[in-house]
Amino acid sequence: MSTILDLHTHSEASEDSRAPVEAYLNWIKLRQAERPVDGIVLTEHRQFNRDADYRHLEDKFGTLVLRASEVETNYGHMLVFGVNDDMVARFDFADVRLDAQTLIDEVARMGGIVVPCHPGRPNIGLYEHYQSRPPLENVVAVEALNGGSRKGEDERSAELIAKYGFAATGGSDSHLVSLIGLCATKFSAYIKTIDDLVRELKTGNYEPVDFRPRRKTVPHAVAMESR
Amino acid sequence: MNSFEEINIGDTLGPLELFVSKDQCRAYARTMGMGEGAGRFTDDEAARKEGLPGMIIPGNMSLGLLSKLVTDWIGSSNAWLTRMNTTYRVPVQPDHTVTIHGFITNKNPEERTTEIDVWMENEESERLVTGTATVEFRK
Repeated sequence: MSTILDLHTHSEASEDSRAPVEAYLNWIKLRQAERPVDGIVLTEHRQFNRDADYRHLEDKFGTLVLRASEVETNYGHMLVFGVNDDMVARFDFADVRLDAQTLIDEVARMGGIVVPCHPGRPNIGLYEHYQSRPPLENVVAVEALNGGSRKGEDERSAELIAKYGFAATGGSDSHLVSLIGLCATKFSAYIKTIDDLVRELKTGNYEPVDFRPRRKTVPHAVAMESR
Repeated sequence: MNSFEEINIGDTLGPLELFVSKDQCRAYARTMGMGEGAGRFTDDEAARKEGLPGMIIPGNMSLGLLSKLVTDWIGSSNAWLTRMNTTYRVPVQPDHTVTIHGFITNKNPEERTTEIDVWMENEESERLVTGTATVEFRK
């Protein structure tokens, strides 16, 4: 039995989102035919909400809600799955210059996994850092599809994945209710807990899935005078 | 627009397709009295010197355009826009067509409010400015 999860989402707990978790789950229910995701992973910026409890919403909507974190490192932004007390004690998640290699190795040692997100994005993605610095070791997977990507970003991510043989995930990076589930990750296994998710992320038995609508491109206007 | 009771989560606003010219951008900057430092909104060369691809639309003008989608939807009904916030993800360039989308994402019957997602896209469907709005309905 497979499981489709949106691995990268931000609720109102992140400072740049106003999306309540309940509204996300309601939207998934509403758009199930177009975005058939079984669950979401909340990856709030620079924090881990250890005490948040969404079980009543999971029961109400029949959608899995897991918690992780998006942190900032010297190699760009990264998703940390399987956050536990040891990790919270070891790292200051609010630090915007965490050492990426230490984070990857230590989180793995403590039972979790780190997945660099939007690697093709300028400044905060792995691709740009790899142009001038040595590649990181022990990276298992990176986010191949990001719902907020601009033109060319997912292509740069694909280039990185092809070159280094990373496993590939997908996530919406949603900060708005209506953008939830646009990109996700399809796992071949059944996932019900964060431990299941971490275990599966380490196997590489998954693929990114793209539910973004294919809109017609608006023709470019004829440029007027430039001054 | 329908009455509050007839509005459903998932309803769409727009899309609203707009062409914003450089002259409109300059007129906005002039009318808003942006003065010194407004070069990025009025002059391609001045904007390029700041590392921008060319003239850009002032953030408040983008906010106004997003608001237009909501206030057009409200029309002459018994409701008003009470809150709007925006995130500026990518500079918006004039002499391009932008498309503004909106979706009703939540309804609060007790407060008679609706929450709306709004965003502005360029011709490549890249989201340039995103935001949320609250509309309140009088009883």
